[in-house]
Amino acid sequence: MLSYALLVHAAPYSEQGALSALRFAQAAVAQGHRVSSVFFYRDGVHNASTLMAPPQDEVHLAEGWRALAQEHGTELLVCIAASLRRGLMNAEEGVRHGREAHNLEPPFVLTGLGQLVDAMQANDRVITFAP
Amino acid sequence: MMLHLLNRSPQFDGLYWDLSEAFGADDHLLLIEDACYAALPAAAASLAAFGGRVSVLSEDAESRGLLGRLSDDVALVDMAGFVALTATFPHSLSWF
Repeated sequence: MLSYALLVHAAPYSEQGALSALRFAQAAVAQGHRVSSVFFYRDGVHNASTLMAPPQDEVHLAEGWRALAQEHGTELLVCIAASLRRGLMNAEEGVRHGREAHNLEPPFVLTGLGQLVDAMQANDRVITFAP
Repeated sequence: MMLHLLNRSPQFDGLYWDLSEAFGADDHLLLIEDACYAALPAAAASLAAFGGRVSVLSEDAESRGLLGRLSDDVALVDMAGFVALTATFPHSLSWF
């Protein structure tokens, strides 16, 4: 059994990379591997939006990520700098920036690139899913 | 031993050239997403530098209507096979 970290650059739905990453993660855990963390970077941070509402007959990427976290303990790490630039923030950042709403909630966690470095060092494999 | 992951179509010929320059003797190339088009016989020149050490992700090829039309030189792998390749190769590099 290997431990994996995934790095997702791809925005949901506009590029295939996010779906590829989710399908890879599901296949990896099905084989008995551990997907310890997924780090969402650049436009990939949009995968974490609480407000994502695709048509019911399409894959719901955010729900897929949440299920991975809940069923397999995968950490969903979201780059805070990339997120704030793109209008994605949790309740704490919403208050800090004087906003009346927020659109990022657990199990997605805002974090920094240091966490990505930690994930790269702590896992057997790091797989990047490009935009 | 490096697993190279490529998601761009052969139209990105500069990217294929850069990849070929970095491709080692023990390396392997997995074509995913739009890179599946490189596995068509008509695009054989784009894969000539990789010595037959090339696979293509079957579900991405199928979603593009390419199954049954791919070059015999390219191995088909499913998503489980993708995972297995990452287990075999200690490092991977994604090109985009």
